[in-house]
Amino acid sequence: MVQAEEWVLLAYRLPRVPSTPRSAVWRKLKRLGVAWLGDGLVALPADARTREHLEWVAEEVTDHGGEATLWQGRPLDSATASAVAGRMTAAVAAEYEAVAAEAAAAGTADPAARRRALVRLRRELHRIQARDFFACPQGETARRAVDHLAAAHTRALA
Amino acid sequence: MKWATRPGVHVDRAACAWLIRRFVDPAAEFVFTTDPAAIPDGATPFDMRGAALGHHQGRCSFETALSAFGLDTDPALEELGRIIHEADLGDERYDAPAAPGLDVLIRGLTMISGSDHDTLAITGRLFDGLYEHTRRQLMTGRPPA
Repeated sequence: MVQAEEWVLLAYRLPRVPSTPRSAVWRKLKRLGVAWLGDGLVALPADARTREHLEWVAEEVTDHGGEATLWQGRPLDSATASAVAGRMTAAVAAEYEAVAAEAAAAGTADPAARRRALVRLRRELHRIQARDFFACPQGETARRAVDHLAAAHTRALA
Repeated sequence: MKWATRPGVHVDRAACAWLIRRFVDPAAEFVFTTDPAAIPDGATPFDMRGAALGHHQGRCSFETALSAFGLDTDPALEELGRIIHEADLGDERYDAPAAPGLDVLIRGLTMISGSDHDTLAITGRLFDGLYEHTRRQLMTGRPPA
């Protein structure tokens, strides 16, 4: 598994009420695929994109009367860091497996349903890839399953 | 006037710079700094944390700038805002098929660009074209050929 050297960390605190900003922030962090290190502490492998995304989440937190600080650093304990990366990878692996299973199931559907599934699964694959920071091997399986579904769709058109 | 933003410009900063130069301040001078404390006196920051021209209420800096400058009455600029929002945030708030392509093109461009000023020179032309395309599409109701 690929290891992240540098991580960007967001420590944040938001008032309990109203709950809407809290859940909006939670949904954003979930979509980014962050590692949840503790209550109000999340991390992502650092690059220009992840730093920027977390900066704007921080801005949203302060816009709603909360507190947010961004940090960049490296773990001192490599075993714990691998466990964190392992948890992140397991989460995206499960998502990839769901895509692969759905692609296989859609292979026997009627042409219209197959086409709808193909469009939806390609989108889903892009979403998952954006939060796959450690080149999770299930990604390749999911991509092959969707390619397979695309080939079946193209054959039906020929 | 002087305008300040972070270096290594990507889609949102490039689009804001284009908007400023084309619609607000043709003589705009852009400076790039990571540290908000290093912003020159009198310069207006944009697409930086803590700036009024930043991400607010779930909108990207370009969308914020459109309303701040009173340009949100132009439907083509509004549509451009949706494309830039998706290229920058990809949160699927809008249906903007052009967004992933725009994101990739500008990311690639910054990789080979000598400076942020060079990047802005090219993205300026890119946004001129995207604006024209969007304007014509809105006028005729279909993608211009």
